[in-house]
Amino acid sequence: MVKEVKKNFVSAAEAAGAQVVACDGVKQAVEYLAEKTPGILLCPAFASGERIDLAGQLRRAGITVVDSDFREQAPTAQAGVTGVNFAMADTGTLALESTAEEIRLATTLPEVQFALLDPQKIYADSLEAVEPLRQLHLRDPRNYIAYITGPSRTADIERVLTIGVHGPKQLHILLVPGLSESPLEM
Amino acid sequence: MKQRSREYRRRIDKALATPKLQDALHKFGDAYLVSRGKAFANYDFEAMRSEISAMKTGVRENHTALLQQFVKNAEAAGATVYLAKTAEDANNYIAELAKQKGAKLAVKSKSMASEETHLNVALEKAGTKALETDLGEWIIQLAGQRPSHMVMPAIHMFKEEVAELFSKETGKTEPAEISHLVQVAREQLRQGYLEAEIGITGANIAVAETGGIALMTNEGNARLASTLPKVHVALVGTEKLVPTLKDATKVIRILPKNATGQPITSYVTWIRGAVPCAGEEKELHIVLLNNGRSTLAESPQCRDALNCIRCGACANVCPVYQTVGGHVFGHIYIGAIGIILTAFFHGLEKAAEIVRACIGCRSCVAICPSKIDLEEIILSLRETVGEEEGIGVGKDIVFRKVMRNRRLFHGLIRAASLMQKPVTRGERSIRHLPLFFSSLTEWRTLPAVAEKPLRDVILHQPQKVEKPRYRVSLFGGCANDFLYPELGLDLVTVMNAHDVEVYYPQKQNCCGVPALYSGDKETAIELAKQNIDAMLEGNPNFVLTTCPTCTMALQRDFVEHLKDNPAWAAKAEKLAEITVDAAGFVVHQLGVADQFKTSASGEKVTYHDSCHLKRGAGVWKEPRQLLESAGFDLVEMAHADRCCGFGGSYSLTSHPEIAMRILNDKLSDIVESGASCVAMDCPGCMLQIRGGVEKQGVNVRVQHTVELLAEALKNKP
Repeated sequence: MVKEVKKNFVSAAEAAGAQVVACDGVKQAVEYLAEKTPGILLCPAFASGERIDLAGQLRRAGITVVDSDFREQAPTAQAGVTGVNFAMADTGTLALESTAEEIRLATTLPEVQFALLDPQKIYADSLEAVEPLRQLHLRDPRNYIAYITGPSRTADIERVLTIGVHGPKQLHILLVPGLSESPLEM
Repeated sequence: MKQRSREYRRRIDKALATPKLQDALHKFGDAYLVSRGKAFANYDFEAMRSEISAMKTGVRENHTALLQQFVKNAEAAGATVYLAKTAEDANNYIAELAKQKGAKLAVKSKSMASEETHLNVALEKAGTKALETDLGEWIIQLAGQRPSHMVMPAIHMFKEEVAELFSKETGKTEPAEISHLVQVAREQLRQGYLEAEIGITGANIAVAETGGIALMTNEGNARLASTLPKVHVALVGTEKLVPTLKDATKVIRILPKNATGQPITSYVTWIRGAVPCAGEEKELHIVLLNNGRSTLAESPQCRDALNCIRCGACANVCPVYQTVGGHVFGHIYIGAIGIILTAFFHGLEKAAEIVRACIGCRSCVAICPSKIDLEEIILSLRETVGEEEGIGVGKDIVFRKVMRNRRLFHGLIRAASLMQKPVTRGERSIRHLPLFFSSLTEWRTLPAVAEKPLRDVILHQPQKVEKPRYRVSLFGGCANDFLYPELGLDLVTVMNAHDVEVYYPQKQNCCGVPALYSGDKETAIELAKQNIDAMLEGNPNFVLTTCPTCTMALQRDFVEHLKDNPAWAAKAEKLAEITVDAAGFVVHQLGVADQFKTSASGEKVTYHDSCHLKRGAGVWKEPRQLLESAGFDLVEMAHADRCCGFGGSYSLTSHPEIAMRILNDKLSDIVESGASCVAMDCPGCMLQIRGGVEKQGVNVRVQHTVELLAEALKNKP
């Protein structure tokens, strides 16, 4: 069942234009980021990332990492990396609790978006995911929660699908087992 | 003619003179249906839309309480909520806020509500430049136009025009390549987000349970506009309210699939309260816009329109929209829902022309994710306009003085049969009309009035039924009666062959739909009563129809007209119960579909679905089943269930130029099917399609299914 849900998620996310990469663990994810990051990488604080000292690992892998002064740095950064609270298989959608402004800046301004998702946190669809969505609303008095499916897109000129009009032009979803079990945590 | 009507005609002419527009909208319509089909492949659309409809109806009924709940929760989360009674109130509030903040620039993500209030103009006056960031909206803003589609505002424009607009903006020549133009927009607009003091968005949903809003975008501009500036203003129509996060999720599941055939938009953004912003708290203002919505809620005929979730699908599938686009078929809001919203948000005067532009094909009703009967609501608005402005002197006399008096009405048609001889030259079709009537036969022939109507000839048709299984009454309708009596005789042949006796009640009159569609409900009610009495006489087992528009009148409209009249309600119900279309009767009541087996010639036949048969009576499998079992080689044409463009007076007087284009689309599909015969179950469609086929010299027979069945019986070995 879990396998089936994961499979559905991967095919829906890819159909939406995301690149999905299955990793053995954090080490492989860091290697992928090192290879794919085109310049400065924004790495805001998030629970599962802090636990593994993600920023430290990325720096040691040779990436130029920014983890403060986001208002200043984000407009010129090339990429951003965050965790994921949970995902929804039927549409290949990620849910990012983005109330912290750094999360939003890291996922809206740069052209490349990396998201680290523990495959344990994939729900079958958005109706199943109403429960964690409500939990997030119950936990925090204010919210900015983003459902993200593929990169930014438009079809406003002659209905021709074109990627990356305002937001990221690339979305890389890295499946990292053992990263985080709770949908309430990024 | 009123100035308003003249301007409307000019807009139609202009749109019709732009074949590129029609081509783009047709291509979109086709591609949309394909991607929509894929998007819903693993979902049950009917179940989903029933849920949305029930949920939104509940919201309307508990609106005050839910609105209070929303406001309370939003304020508790640090938002400032303003209830704007009118568009002006909303604009004043936002413009005042902009002044207070000394804002020079406001970045906007797409908001139809702000189009509705003309917010940009109000902001400019207050000294704040409003910058649209949705690519389509920005294009429209640069061009100084208004959106022609609710979801794809610039669908009427082409890349060359966009390149020209962008070149003016950047001061250099931008090539007309779409990917390049999108990049230009990205670069040009990026600085706006960083500089703007205010971000303005709409909202797709307002959730009472949380006091939060949800925004759906593909581009990511709403995320930037709600993140970077220190002030966020969300302008939200009060109809966007839903009770819970689960309800909101249901809207999100259906909206993009139905809007553009996308499984989900790239971004769904849930925002509740004053979130962090540059080390402080964001200032969030939620402006809840009423502007006619509570008046709409009070109209029993129209209030279902508040269930709309703004997907725009009603335009996507509309043959009129595909022919003239949203600058004709709409005001700010476009398509079928646009007609209704315009009447309530911008006034009846603004809707008075477009309320007549609907051809009544019900394709919007079939695709609406909130199950709104848009056609019914438009008809009731047409009636209101009819009451306010009159329905025209000519129509008034025809409906009130002539049609209500059956003897006079039928006497005049009989007289016409004699008077037409100089133009028919004894043929069954009128190919040319003289002088100022000539435009009526420019693009299709018209059928001549038959020498003897069905009501006369049927009396002399011997019916040899020894042990009748059923005794049925035929409701002919005007076309079958006076234009195509042979169709009625063929029905008798088919019925007699299956031991059914057919009677033709002589007091039956017009079904009243032409009057109703023209906004004269009073005449329609009078005709309903005449017909109920006429058709129930002799207590028939069933009442058969050969015209689906009449079917809908007998099955649905009469009941609706008379439901509050104790003297008539039960009789209307009774008639509705026993009324069946001919094909449905043969398949379901008689159960003899297989008895035509292989008696026909094997001729290649394609089937045209009449709007009111498929989307009114729900009959579309039955005639196909009959044709196939009768031995015809049935081939499907493309867009089989797309309107033929008849629409009664729509094609004769109100919008012949649009009707002609829709007919031409249908003729192309028929020809491309390769069939030598096109079958249908509606005399109106026969009039239209046969008229086009004859005028264009296309070598295809145009027949009613009943006629083909009679043919098959004759060939039966």
